[in-house]
Amino acid sequence: MSFRKPSVLPGFGLTFGFTTCFLSTIVLLPLAALVLSAASMHWSDFVRVVSSPRALGSYRLSFGASLLAATINVVFGFIIAWTLARYEFPGRKIIDALIDMPFALPTAVSGIALTTVFAQNGWIGRYLEPLGVKVAYTWLGVTLALTLISMPFAVRAVQPALQEVQRDLEEAAETLGAGRMYVLWRIILPTVLPALLTGFTLAFARAVGEYGSVIFIAGNLPMKTEITPLLIVIHLEEFDYQGAAALGVVMLGISFVILLAINLLQAWGRRRHVRAAH
Amino acid sequence: MSITLDQVTKHYGGVPVVNDVSLDIGDGEFFVLLGPSGSGKSTLLRAIAGLSGVDHGRISLHGRDVTHVAARKRGVGLVFQNYALFRHMTVADNIEFALRVRHMRGRARRQRRAELLRLVSLEGMDHRLPAQLSGGQQQRVAVARALAHKPEVLLLDEPFGALDAKIREELRRTIRQVQRELGITTVLVTHDQEEAFAMADRIGIMSQGRLLEVGAPHDLYARPATRFVATFLGAANLFLARRTPDGIQVGGKTMGGAERAAGGPEHEVVAVVRPEEVEVAPARDALGSRYLGNGVVDEVTFTGALERLRVRLDEAVHAPLLAAGDGDGRSTLQVTRTRHAYRGFEVHQGQSVAVGLRRVHVLPTPLSSFTACAQSAPLADELSRQPLLTELVARMKTRIAVRIEPSLGVAEEPCQAQGEFFGTTVSAAAGDNVRRAEWLLRRGVKDLLVLPEHAAPPQRVLIHWMSEAARSATLAVSASVLRHVPAEAVYVGIFPGSSDSERHSHGMRELLDARSEAQAAHGLEMRTELHFGDVAQELTRRLAEAPAQMLILGISELRQFADSFRTLLDGGRWPVLIVQRGAT
Repeated sequence: MSFRKPSVLPGFGLTFGFTTCFLSTIVLLPLAALVLSAASMHWSDFVRVVSSPRALGSYRLSFGASLLAATINVVFGFIIAWTLARYEFPGRKIIDALIDMPFALPTAVSGIALTTVFAQNGWIGRYLEPLGVKVAYTWLGVTLALTLISMPFAVRAVQPALQEVQRDLEEAAETLGAGRMYVLWRIILPTVLPALLTGFTLAFARAVGEYGSVIFIAGNLPMKTEITPLLIVIHLEEFDYQGAAALGVVMLGISFVILLAINLLQAWGRRRHVRAAH
Repeated sequence: MSITLDQVTKHYGGVPVVNDVSLDIGDGEFFVLLGPSGSGKSTLLRAIAGLSGVDHGRISLHGRDVTHVAARKRGVGLVFQNYALFRHMTVADNIEFALRVRHMRGRARRQRRAELLRLVSLEGMDHRLPAQLSGGQQQRVAVARALAHKPEVLLLDEPFGALDAKIREELRRTIRQVQRELGITTVLVTHDQEEAFAMADRIGIMSQGRLLEVGAPHDLYARPATRFVATFLGAANLFLARRTPDGIQVGGKTMGGAERAAGGPEHEVVAVVRPEEVEVAPARDALGSRYLGNGVVDEVTFTGALERLRVRLDEAVHAPLLAAGDGDGRSTLQVTRTRHAYRGFEVHQGQSVAVGLRRVHVLPTPLSSFTACAQSAPLADELSRQPLLTELVARMKTRIAVRIEPSLGVAEEPCQAQGEFFGTTVSAAAGDNVRRAEWLLRRGVKDLLVLPEHAAPPQRVLIHWMSEAARSATLAVSASVLRHVPAEAVYVGIFPGSSDSERHSHGMRELLDARSEAQAAHGLEMRTELHFGDVAQELTRRLAEAPAQMLILGISELRQFADSFRTLLDGGRWPVLIVQRGAT
């Protein structure tokens, strides 16, 4: 079978070759090395490492906080993207630029900044303390850090979709008698739903892999505020490369399953439309 | 009345995109708003739908003032050019949208949906998605959706723009049929005159935010009142002609087919001749219509049922054609012939033919052409390149002639150039304007435009007349100017003395009279202002208040002209158009 099909665009062979080569070197090869490294362990060792109570606690925190952060970001990211896409106001460009700041900042800096604000004697933490709300050194702080660093992904994924929602559609709905909330629920949200899911996926993926900003605000108490990436680093510092690789493989597996699930959800949503047509 | 618009005005960034539009649309009428892109027709439609607000004026639907009512409460159905169907919903859900919003029960909803689908001939398409339909079918769904909630008014915004010719034809018929069946008042916006002719009960033609003319398709085509409508509704040859006591003269020859020739002195007019009203024959004797002159065939185009010719008239025929061709200098006569006619007399390129005119229509516009008048050729030449003047000439599709009067402004000196003054005479505003203006007005100039060097197209035109004798002519000239300039018209009524309640109510009555005459006789919408004091002083003060203003001043005698208007004119700060009528 040949990949070659007549096309006005030249160079399919070249670009396809480059794509496979590049992906293999940068993505597949290191991942394979990780899996191989873990595979050199004895099975019982592997199970012991990845199912230790400390590891289990870290999974719960890592994935739980990441899912929570991604959810928060989809909701608030939508509102921010809506504001930026729909309204002209002084300072809009500045806010638009601010969105990308967490992209550019070294994550450790974000961590330090958050700690300054939310520590017990921090600017905001000081007022939360008497209310019994502790942010720094709890799961709340971890979620906060993950929300901060993954926020741009959600906003940037939704913004173009919102800009593209035809004003005509809203106007058509309006002349048909629909109120604003009705238009938002029935017209705008269904139209940008795929973009919202993409934003969720990206934000979640970013949050799961985050390390730098979390370690400052988390306090890193085993079982309580220790995220999986940190546990991996701890293993590395003890020169337990295989243990680190084993945890890495588990993270890889869980992330893959979640991302796959979201993708399937999107595909299902698309199919539902087509099915409705028959 | 189903839809009533009263002085509707909408600005974008200071520019009026809909300018003082007043209109009544009757119950069950199919009304077409026709105009080139950017003429404000879509904005006006959106204003009726409630999707964009208006800055001034009122909109009523079936007697209910809806100017400040939200779109969703106006009870209109709107169809967009790009269908605007909800792509994530099926045809059924799209059509039922308005019914769901109104919480209609399932069974009634389904019944209404079936009814609507039958109406637009889309039975059985209920469960398709918009993406699975052709463009024409999608637009049918959009029409059904817009009709679902039984709106009182159906608005169509270029609904056929994205469709190919055959589908367009079919959909046109469907919409017209649906409209007749339901008897629903409908407004359609288009830039396609053929579409307008095919569908409309009445057409309203818009240009630069103004509603220029409203009428039945046939009337507008046969008897346009403005050159824009004459040339926009199908092809037209525009001539500069003379109205004489004997009739209308084109190229020095009286055209018997012309409409009534009004009495009064000879003056210049703009004549419209449709291409199908031009006859060509091998020789003068073979013509069945009034002979105009000889010409040479420049171009022959075969289009099936019709044959189009371009004929260049001989130089000896002195009938100035105004921009009939694609560019200046290439003014050729457009002729269309039916199959019957071109079988009888075949022509080919380069052939010499005799040209006759079957029917000549004279535009009622008082502004025909411009003549730049100055003391020397370079000055006149410079004046004829003045930006406001060239802009006006381009918009009015007319021409600028040049006239040299070396002793312009020197009292008692006679005219030196040959012939009378025709059309609008233009004089540069430089120094002693009032003396030169009076000189020209005393020597037969009827319309005089005093033009400062840097004057730009005005945003506001002030109108005033000194005596009742000049009133009607001033309004006619103002209407003509404002058809070509997207400016706001303001009638400034000025009464001597100071304001007291009796004078005030008398003044208000006069303003209302003036406004209704402008509207009824000239289709001119203008705002009115009431001032008390000295006329020239008040006008000068009003002109100085804002930039980019122009004055149109009607006068009927020159006795105190120089003394009154010295300050206003000699400053040379504003373009002033003086209309002199009713003088003895």
